[in-house]
Amino acid sequence: MGLLSLLIFLPLAATFLILLLPRSLQSSFKYIALFFTVLQLLLSGYMYTQFDGSATGINQVSGYRFVEQLPWIHLDIGSLGRLEIDYFIGVDGVSLPLLVLSSLVMLMAVGSSWNIQKSPKGYFALLMLLNMAVMGIFAALDFFLFYIFYEVMLFPLYFLIGIWGGANREYAAIKFFIYTLFGSVFMLLVIVGLYFSVINPDTGAHTFNMLHMMNPNNYVEGSFFAYLDNSHTIWGIPARMIGFIVLFVAFAIKVPIVPLHTWLPDAHVEAPTPISIVLAGILLKIGGYGIIRVCMSIFPDATADANWWLGLIGVVSILYGALNALAQKDLKRMIAYSSVSHMGFVLLGLASLTAEGVSGALFQMISHGFLSAALFFLVGVLYDRVHDRYIYNFRGLAGLMPQYTGYVAIAFFASLGLPGFSAFIGEAFVIIGSFNAESVGTGIPRWMAIAGSVGILLSAAYFLWTLQRMYFGQTRLKGGEEWASKLKDLSLREKSILFPALALALVLGIMPSWVFDKMNTSVLNLVSLITAQL
Amino acid sequence: MNDFVHSLPSIIDHIVQSIPLFKPEIALIGAFLLSVLATLFLDKVWKHSSYAISLGGLLASFLYLCGQLDNSVAGFFDMLRIDNFSVYARMLIVFALLMVCIFVQQHFKEKPDRKRLGEVYGTLLTAGIGLHLLTITSNWLMAFIAIETVSISSYILVGYFSENKKQSEAAMKYVLFGSTSAAVMLYGLSLVYGFTGNLDFVSMQHIQGLAAAPTVICTIAILFVFTGIGFKLGFVPFHLWTPDVYEGAPTPITAFLSTVPKIGAIILFSRLTQAWLPTLFYFSEVTFFFLVVVAIVTMLVGNLIALRQLNIKRLMAYSSIGHTGFLLMAIMVLSTDNQEILLFYLAAYTLMTLAAFAFIDSIESATGIVDLPAYAGLGKKFPLLFTCFTFAGISLVGLPPTAGFIGKLLVFTSVFEVYQTYRDVAHLLLLIVGALTSVISLFYYFKIPLFAFLRKSNEEPMYKIGFSLVLVLGVVMSVLLVVLGLFPGLLLGFLR
Repeated sequence: MGLLSLLIFLPLAATFLILLLPRSLQSSFKYIALFFTVLQLLLSGYMYTQFDGSATGINQVSGYRFVEQLPWIHLDIGSLGRLEIDYFIGVDGVSLPLLVLSSLVMLMAVGSSWNIQKSPKGYFALLMLLNMAVMGIFAALDFFLFYIFYEVMLFPLYFLIGIWGGANREYAAIKFFIYTLFGSVFMLLVIVGLYFSVINPDTGAHTFNMLHMMNPNNYVEGSFFAYLDNSHTIWGIPARMIGFIVLFVAFAIKVPIVPLHTWLPDAHVEAPTPISIVLAGILLKIGGYGIIRVCMSIFPDATADANWWLGLIGVVSILYGALNALAQKDLKRMIAYSSVSHMGFVLLGLASLTAEGVSGALFQMISHGFLSAALFFLVGVLYDRVHDRYIYNFRGLAGLMPQYTGYVAIAFFASLGLPGFSAFIGEAFVIIGSFNAESVGTGIPRWMAIAGSVGILLSAAYFLWTLQRMYFGQTRLKGGEEWASKLKDLSLREKSILFPALALALVLGIMPSWVFDKMNTSVLNLVSLITAQL
Repeated sequence: MNDFVHSLPSIIDHIVQSIPLFKPEIALIGAFLLSVLATLFLDKVWKHSSYAISLGGLLASFLYLCGQLDNSVAGFFDMLRIDNFSVYARMLIVFALLMVCIFVQQHFKEKPDRKRLGEVYGTLLTAGIGLHLLTITSNWLMAFIAIETVSISSYILVGYFSENKKQSEAAMKYVLFGSTSAAVMLYGLSLVYGFTGNLDFVSMQHIQGLAAAPTVICTIAILFVFTGIGFKLGFVPFHLWTPDVYEGAPTPITAFLSTVPKIGAIILFSRLTQAWLPTLFYFSEVTFFFLVVVAIVTMLVGNLIALRQLNIKRLMAYSSIGHTGFLLMAIMVLSTDNQEILLFYLAAYTLMTLAAFAFIDSIESATGIVDLPAYAGLGKKFPLLFTCFTFAGISLVGLPPTAGFIGKLLVFTSVFEVYQTYRDVAHLLLLIVGALTSVISLFYYFKIPLFAFLRKSNEEPMYKIGFSLVLVLGVVMSVLLVVLGLFPGLLLGFLR
């Protein structure tokens, strides 16, 4: 068992341990979860230091590190040929930073679950199961394995939102589940189609290996997703474009893009704080990661044709999300919509098909990962104390909770893209990339870059306006004296969760090369893979 | 006459030689007779005698089936065709019957004013004989007799326990529907026989006769024949009896109705489609068109109506209708060298349905609850039961990591392969509807954990669900579903 497998299955061990221990030891469950997530963070951190930036990744096994490949399901099934499913995992410059991010965000989530009272056994067991699934998604290189982790991720989330969530939790939980499943069942059909179109050159069998799917030479002539001379169409749309669109929709629901984002505000508002952190910090990144790993890498030709639309969707998400955030009166909903807006940058950056844009998109994912986790945690701090987060019910919090206000201010400024913080690097690179796209000739017009910058302006507006409304001015609370006595400043635990995230935002804002160095070769490889099709 | 006398010895020889092929069924017949006798005489001395005999008969039948593996032969003048396909199908039937027998015994253990159960075991065995015949014949006459055997046994099983008006109504509905569709089917068969002069539906003469038949009458005949099979399978529009009967019958009998007869009928149907679909004549087109429409409508109707159900047994009824639609899609693309796909799906379906009913029965026996809203808050009280129940639900939706997912994936795979070769929009539609209904089915299967875990009940439930055999079997089957979901090779390799 290699390091990567260990990273994936450590949480599963925690799940079983928690399930086996009797209920009388339930106060120890959070320590078990903490222990395992710390271990994971150390492990992923070690892997990060060991990873050399020269790994090209994306479409060649040799470009991956920590690769493990074991035969899993190898079967002859008659006319369908030989079924070849491997336990095939590995990391490249795209997935490794996301793995580190996931283990960090998971640690934050465990830290913020410290006061869970309602059946901690089930809670921590499910959280660790979720942890395993997301690690698996980022590491899987076999489409079948990827799909299994992708679906397994849904069950714990359904229960975590549905049992530990707010008043309208049932609706939010099933809405989230249905949205994702709707995308993924059709993804399953495309997986089946790809399976028939691709042959493993070594064994001659059909395969679910994603890397083989990225190599045009492995496609069977005349098959449904054949690379060259593909005459298959469905209702007039070429088969490969259909495959791209279906996969894109499946992942775009996760990103989420406008208009498929409506599950997100509901899920965030109803979910308990730790789950909001996981949702914003990790799950949205799965959407972006899926688009890179699956849509763009397997269908580079379709990506090259469709990138104008991708860019448009990105711009619409940026602006629509920001305008919505401006109009929200619930603090958590506002941050949820700001996520929609910030994830729009990811899409715009990817669509630009320039090295700057794609690196910026990846960097934006990382940066948004821990910043949004910190933002949701900050909302949770308020909600824990007075069970309210309606913006107009608070005023002048700075007087009551100076430290808290300080952290909020830093998080807000970092998120709105103040230079010196990581979000600035991500957004700036995306804008630069999409601005340059016209001169490189990838088909993204300059106005999209300009519209993206308007989004940054809007994000400054809603963050600063909220800061002004809630934290500054004369202290006035809806709950009066009772609230004032409850609103105590941050505890040591809360500070120790927030500090690393915000420190990281600053460090990566000043030293972005710590991430760029690791991902650069993979990004260049991805860009050249797609621009060759232009 | 003289001819007949001359050939008589050879006919008798042939029959005698064919008898060993019939061993698994003879074991069932023997067990049936013995259990009738035991009910009459032995049950007074040892009340489990008929139960023990039935279990023994099923086990013996299973052992004989193992002997028939890898040995394709025909006997009784081609009335019986033994091949691996039928052996596996019958193994599944015997397994399911065994489970149902145990469910029945456990279900009525606690009931004070119980009727004698000996008859029930006997009737289950008779149904088993009929179903065995369905899987090994390609002769219309045999098929009809087998269907009737199963039907009559099912009528008895449903009606035997009826205690109130609703249950009697269910039984009555079932009998009326069943007899009518049997009559219609028989009429269709007489037409088919008139065209072809041959009752063996895979024979050349039969196919040629159908190809030459006039189109209008041919259509009517085929539709009439499908009525009979449709009734047994419960596909739309012959599904109307299922919800009432499922709800009215005792839970173990419902478990029987939703699994075992379907296996037999689907095997017969798949033999029929394999013989009829590949030709280029009119009757193939009618059959194909009929199957496509029925499969799509059945999937949609079953899953959409299930959304509104709050009685768990009615919900399972509609879910089984939906799964029938999916099975129809599977048999449409079946070919001789990928039969294990259908068998795997059937095995997964049987396991998950029986597991679900094991849990439904455990809950019902302990608390009397069959309505979903009354499950509220029970999840916290019985975490193991409801966790496994949720796994069965996940498998029924067709999500990983369960056997239901692998089954669905394999069926999608085989349909896609056919689509890629022939590029027929019908197959694409089937794929899309199949995927879409999986999403729809999530809504209602997840009502189980929704009520059990997410809702809180107002009063503290006072129930106790003790350790029972049915519950253990349910848990074992759920675990098996996950194991087969992660390592489908264990079963697929065997079926291959």
